[in-house]
Amino acid sequence: MATGMTMSDATLLRRLSTLLVARSGCPRRMRLFSSYIVRGATFEPPDVSHLADSARISLAPGEVEDFGPKIRQVIDWFGQLQAVDLESVEPSVRADAEVSMYKREDTPETFENREAIIRVAPSYDDPYIKVPKVLSKE
Amino acid sequence: MPPPPVRSPSSLLLCHCRLPFHISPQTRLPLSHNSSVRRRFHCSAVSALSSDPQIAPTDLTTTPPSSHILSIRESLLSRRRTAADVAGEYLDRLRRTEPHIRSFLHVSETTMREAEEVDRLVASGKDLGPLAGVLVGVKDNICTAGMPSTGGSRILEGYRPPFDATAVRKLKEAGAIIIGKTNMDEFGMGSTTEGSGFQVTANPWDISRVPGGSSGGSASAVSAKQCVVSLGSDTGGSVRQPASFCGVVGLKPTYGRVSRFGLMAYASSLDVIGCFGASVIDSAIVLNVVSGHDRFDSTSSTHEVPDYASFLMSTDHFESTPLKGLKVGMIRETIGDGVDVGVISSIKAAALHLEELGATITEVSLPSFSLGLPAYYVLASSEASSNLSRYDGVRYGNRATVDELNSLYGDSRADGLGPEVKMRILMGTYALSAGYYDAYYKRAQQVRTLIRKSFKDALEKMDILVSPAVPSPAYKIGEKVNDPLAMYAGDIMTVNVNLAGLPALVVPCGFVEGGSAGLPVGLQMIGSSFSEEKLLRIGHIFEQTLPNYRFVPPLLFLELV
Repeated sequence: MATGMTMSDATLLRRLSTLLVARSGCPRRMRLFSSYIVRGATFEPPDVSHLADSARISLAPGEVEDFGPKIRQVIDWFGQLQAVDLESVEPSVRADAEVSMYKREDTPETFENREAIIRVAPSYDDPYIKVPKVLSKE
Repeated sequence: MPPPPVRSPSSLLLCHCRLPFHISPQTRLPLSHNSSVRRRFHCSAVSALSSDPQIAPTDLTTTPPSSHILSIRESLLSRRRTAADVAGEYLDRLRRTEPHIRSFLHVSETTMREAEEVDRLVASGKDLGPLAGVLVGVKDNICTAGMPSTGGSRILEGYRPPFDATAVRKLKEAGAIIIGKTNMDEFGMGSTTEGSGFQVTANPWDISRVPGGSSGGSASAVSAKQCVVSLGSDTGGSVRQPASFCGVVGLKPTYGRVSRFGLMAYASSLDVIGCFGASVIDSAIVLNVVSGHDRFDSTSSTHEVPDYASFLMSTDHFESTPLKGLKVGMIRETIGDGVDVGVISSIKAAALHLEELGATITEVSLPSFSLGLPAYYVLASSEASSNLSRYDGVRYGNRATVDELNSLYGDSRADGLGPEVKMRILMGTYALSAGYYDAYYKRAQQVRTLIRKSFKDALEKMDILVSPAVPSPAYKIGEKVNDPLAMYAGDIMTVNVNLAGLPALVVPCGFVEGGSAGLPVGLQMIGSSFSEEKLLRIGHIFEQTLPNYRFVPPLLFLELV
């Protein structure tokens, strides 16, 4: 066991790995990666209603039932990523190695077609785009 | 009008001059014994399509594809044709074929007027832009001022952007005429156009099959000659896969080669704008026009833009082995289990052709290849969940009628977004939640590093890598609809290229059985960053010397006159 890992973390990881393998049917050998620790979360299966709330999408009950198994299936499939030894691999934020040093001038420019922007707003009351009031207690 | 041609299966086969897949590429298809049938068929085809130089009877045998852009230019400059003639011909064919394939979500009302503008320019003797009079289709997730741009989604139904995407602005500055906006899977999420909020596009090679996606409309429009060239976008293969399914050339440039300003973002670290053409030269000319740094896209590259078309010589100047010295790596993981036998055979035949041209083919293995697919879907869903949060019904797009703000967001999005988009947003939300970021998103980014490195290592030893673009030919409509993982599996050949940001070119190389005339298969060629000139040169030589194939779909012969 690598330093920095407690007994409970290691056990959690092992159990988690077995669970992911069992669900995905993936025949890969699971390896315990030495310095990677799952913090906090117990990798609960996705709660579709909760996710829909976070993403501000009002799902119909039928949709929650329909999406649930499909989403769980895909997330399980994502579990393959846990099976790889990625120690000391730097994450790539983007594809290219070159970082463009180009910066444009930080001076405001007036967009010449403001009319067209305003025209597509569903409800406009100069100078405001109108939306319904916030009623919820959140 | 002459009576419709006799449509016996044998005459159809002859028309397309395709080799039955069990005959080796070296054998020429014998045509002469049925020549009287062929001539009768061709007479009617000629009267229907005589103005298009590409479909003249003498060309129906073994002439390789030529540049439509250059031939339009030549006919305008020589006054042999007017831009109005050309535009009229394309519009006419578009209208006749649209009921069968439905490539377009919107057809421009100003095409003829713009063509007349081009004619005035020609008459004045002023310089013509490189795309003067060329009809271009634009994928509907690329903003075109004043023309609806929906991203294939109901949430943006009727939305007219106040600006042109940089790529569109550049096309217009070059004289192009935007003929319409093409159908796509909603916000780029899908591989068949069945994810479109509006309609399903059919493949011109077999209208019971999909054209691919997400740029399915752009690919089918070029394949059916409803437009000369078209723009698409490629986040995980969305230009290359439809190019393979529809038998057209598809180009995915290096990430940053073409400005993304005006492209509705799906996954910002992966999206690129690409293009379709009926020949490699046409794709090269479009790339010339749309490439370059853009101050409105900070991820666009300042890498210089060479003249991509100038590297493409006519076949008269080819030596006998024009690809001598070229080292080609065939990706081992793409020609094994899970790949259609007919596709493997087409790719191997294409490799043989490259060898005949002087190249050496070696099998290479890319470590971590299969990890690319889950890594891609984690990254793409995560970035999409963020990028699509702007579609909330507030400033633009469709807004639900409700009394309360949270419901405004929730209901507008629920009503306007399709099921695949909703699912990916939810998956992305999950993968980015507190406690899960390290397990999914970060690990996917680490896998991206591994994949970048494995391509880099392979491309140090090889000049280009080749593989199929898709493991199979075009699916039947409805085949993949209820099984997300089965659909995602089809992207295995393409996503790694997006993760690494590399350029890739798909060139039609053969057929497999299916439909009335076979289903096209494309060869994918992958190069190192900003090596488009090399890819285009190789693709051009490959295409111009490919024996016995014509990639003209049966729809163009079967359409009712």
